[in-house]
Amino acid sequence: MGEFEELVLLTVAIMNAEGYGATILHEIETRTKRSIQLSAVHVALYRLEEKGLVRSNVGGATKERGGRRKRLFTITPSGIRILKEIRNLREQLWNLIPKPI
Amino acid sequence: MRQKKFPQPPRWADSFITWRLSEQTSEEVIGDLHELFSEWVEKYGTRHARMLYIFHALGFLWPLPRMLKRGRNAYPNDHSTPFISTNMFFNNFKIAFRNLLRNWSYAVMNITGLSVGIASCLLIFLVIEFETSFDTFHAKRDRIYRVVTQYNTPDGEVYSSGAPTPVTETMRNDFPQLENAGAIFGGHGGLVIIPDQTGKAAAKKFDEGERVFFADPQFFQIFDFKWLAGDPKTALNEPYTGVLTRETAERYFGDWKRAVGKTIKQNNSREIKITGVLDDVPVNSDFPLKVVMSSATLKGGSGAYLTNWENTNGGAHSYIVLPPNVSPASINAALPAFVRKYKPAAYANQGFQLQPLRDIHFDKRFGNFNGRTFSRELITALWLIGIFLLVIACVNFINLATAQAVNRSKEVGVRKVLGSSRKQLLMQFFGETALITFCALLLALGIAAVALPFLSKLLAVQLTFTLDSKVLLFLSGVFVSVTLISGAYPAIVLSGFNPIIALKSKVAQKIGGGISLRRALVVLQFCIAQILMIGMLVVVTQMAYFKNTDLGFDKDAIVAINVPYDSLSKTKYQYLQNQLLAQPGIKDISYSFATPADNGGWSSDFKFDHSTKTTDWEATLKWADTAYFKLFNLQFVAGRPYFNSDTVREFVVNETLVKKLGFSKPQDIIGKELNFWDGKKVAPVVGVIKDFHANSLRDPIPPMVMGALKDVYHTLSIKIQPKRVTETLAYIEKAWTQAFPDNVYEHHFLDERIANFYKQETQLSILYKIFAVIAIFISCLGLYGLVSFMTVQRNKEVGIRKVLGASVRSIVYLFSKEFTLLIAIAFVIAAPVAYYFMHQWLANFTFRIPLSWTLFALAGLSSVVVAWLAVGYKAVKAAITNPVNSIRTQ
Repeated sequence: MGEFEELVLLTVAIMNAEGYGATILHEIETRTKRSIQLSAVHVALYRLEEKGLVRSNVGGATKERGGRRKRLFTITPSGIRILKEIRNLREQLWNLIPKPI
Repeated sequence: MRQKKFPQPPRWADSFITWRLSEQTSEEVIGDLHELFSEWVEKYGTRHARMLYIFHALGFLWPLPRMLKRGRNAYPNDHSTPFISTNMFFNNFKIAFRNLLRNWSYAVMNITGLSVGIASCLLIFLVIEFETSFDTFHAKRDRIYRVVTQYNTPDGEVYSSGAPTPVTETMRNDFPQLENAGAIFGGHGGLVIIPDQTGKAAAKKFDEGERVFFADPQFFQIFDFKWLAGDPKTALNEPYTGVLTRETAERYFGDWKRAVGKTIKQNNSREIKITGVLDDVPVNSDFPLKVVMSSATLKGGSGAYLTNWENTNGGAHSYIVLPPNVSPASINAALPAFVRKYKPAAYANQGFQLQPLRDIHFDKRFGNFNGRTFSRELITALWLIGIFLLVIACVNFINLATAQAVNRSKEVGVRKVLGSSRKQLLMQFFGETALITFCALLLALGIAAVALPFLSKLLAVQLTFTLDSKVLLFLSGVFVSVTLISGAYPAIVLSGFNPIIALKSKVAQKIGGGISLRRALVVLQFCIAQILMIGMLVVVTQMAYFKNTDLGFDKDAIVAINVPYDSLSKTKYQYLQNQLLAQPGIKDISYSFATPADNGGWSSDFKFDHSTKTTDWEATLKWADTAYFKLFNLQFVAGRPYFNSDTVREFVVNETLVKKLGFSKPQDIIGKELNFWDGKKVAPVVGVIKDFHANSLRDPIPPMVMGALKDVYHTLSIKIQPKRVTETLAYIEKAWTQAFPDNVYEHHFLDERIANFYKQETQLSILYKIFAVIAIFISCLGLYGLVSFMTVQRNKEVGIRKVLGASVRSIVYLFSKEFTLLIAIAFVIAAPVAYYFMHQWLANFTFRIPLSWTLFALAGLSSVVVAWLAVGYKAVKAAITNPVNSIRTQ
């Protein structure tokens, strides 16, 4: 899993089933202060869903969207598990670094 | 306060996304982009926002995982409902169905109109299918040609379906490039006697009429008739052999398998051994074979039948097959030399031509053994009528649907608000049209199935209604085109409603444009209907004219009977005559070659008054005894009838011949001599009769010569008293069979036979009547629907008018005024068109009615009257309604 995908996955978890393309983009841009393209987000979400780490369903339409529906993403248990694994791996590696650093 | 228009992102970027991504994904992505866009506009201003928009949109230019791209609809692990769902289809179907039920009368009118139009189209298709299928089952059909005779005379072109009998054999020798050549001779004696083998019972007698033929064995190599028994290669090689069709063999011998080897006696003179059995000839063939004998049989016998180059008998057909690399034009080019080589010099102008097999069923000039051709013009006319009827029905649909549009406006508004796209709405309304068309199609099948037997009887053909691939293809073509044509305009109108205006119920004002289209469509409908009506009136009047014109001879209460003309029978003529005259029910007797109006006959040129040159035109020759004139009541304008004799001693001619010879007074020709066939028949003219119609009224009266020639008589004409006809007929039959025990008795009434001449025209006139009625019916159906709608739509207006004092009459006048005007416009267009076509049609007939304005007036007035009747009920009902009811609701 690439770094960006992990980022997206984390954001999906943060947004707690209310995240979709635009909001996830917004979150990532705000927190990382990086300029990300919408297409990158959509592709990443798609790949995550292919791997079964997130689940999607089509939801409400609003006036700002011109009446178009949005696809809402939720993290799946396997997605949570992967995130935990990654965090554990990071922590393990961090703990192996000698004390003075 | 007017709201400021919100800045929009660049549209092309959205188009790019929809192009690049799947439908679903593009919806989501564009939604996201729009959401972000409104944020950006607030934060950075419109221009920057637009640039950001483009930036993000173009991000989708790079390669994408397949599932996001265009053309894919399935998102992985998609738990939401698909974009285009079957649920939607059923929902639409349910709604369409409910709509139909709600506006039940409108649906019925639409379906009825459409189904009548479709049924007519289908029936016409079946008829045309049948008529164009004649003799298409022969494998070599594209290379088969008939050698026909055609030449010019000062009187016009002369055509014959036959060629002199030696032609086939000679062409075989002279044209080695021909693949095959075979002759068939028809119209020979139809009397067949089956001698009884056991000798105990009487022989069975059959009259096969015109279905007895002589043919070369090559004939069956050229044409593919199925053989059930016997060897096609050898069955007709020997003289005095013949084959029967299965049905004939079964009639003669019970079981066709036993027919081979048996003997039959043809024409009371030839003993024919049966060497094979053919399968029954299909109905769609112009060779109605029943008995086919070998042409070798004719080599013996009297009169050098097979070597006569002078005579051309229309029943002597010569067929050839060309190999693929030989063109008919090359043979045609060689034919004039061929003619000059073999035909006697006097007849060298009688040229031959190759007629392709596929034309034989359609070319009236040459005809065929069935005696019936179906003109190609008629096929075109029928197609046009079918299409017109369908057009009228579709026009109906369009008018009614757009009229109903106002009722559906709210529904469309709501649908649009809930997010339906224009395309979805189009699909929905097309679907509704398809549903109605489909119901109409089913009903049309039912109507056609019921009407088919009547149509078959009317046209004297056998039509079968099988749902084979051609018919199905045709029906689906009709279904698709009707749905598209009828559904297009209403669907576009209905789906184009602005939802805001629709929901405010202000749509009615917007359909202003629809009204002029509706008017134009009504004009079109009535234009077509009136053309058909005028055509119908002309045809019917012309047919009545034919029936009622005095033909110049008596045809009532005259019975014509064939008498055998072998020498033995001829001796009995006088005896039979005396017998018959003794019967009180019989007034006059005459022996002749034929009755006055029998189309066939002899014709020849001759030398007049000791001239050395023959005339360059031919006169029709009628041979009859002197009693003929009295029996048929032929009037003399000069001279007298000739005296009775066995051979020609004196001639009688008609007025046309007198004029053609250049005499102004019939008296002047009396005593002059006519010389036929270089002195074989020479006699003076002793009388001139008034012209009578020897041919059908289609053709001009020919110049005619009459004389006595007992040798060729084979018709006995009897004028009977109108009372006690059956008794008299029975007496005649008894006397006849006594005199000619070996023959089959058959009689017909002259007036029936004459009526038969115009059978095809009579059939046509009935057809036209039906079509005209159908056209008016559908048009009035549409008119009725329109008026129903308009009265509903304008009920408020009517109410106000009544309150202000309008009478019932003025309200009815208000409604009918508009339609009368439209019908009048339709008439103005229809009349010249109909005039043109009817003028052309009438030109086919030498004796025809004038194209008088009364016919046109009748058509116009009757369509107006019928329209008023259709509309009247609704208009009156609208005019009597209580204004309180209509103005109350707001």
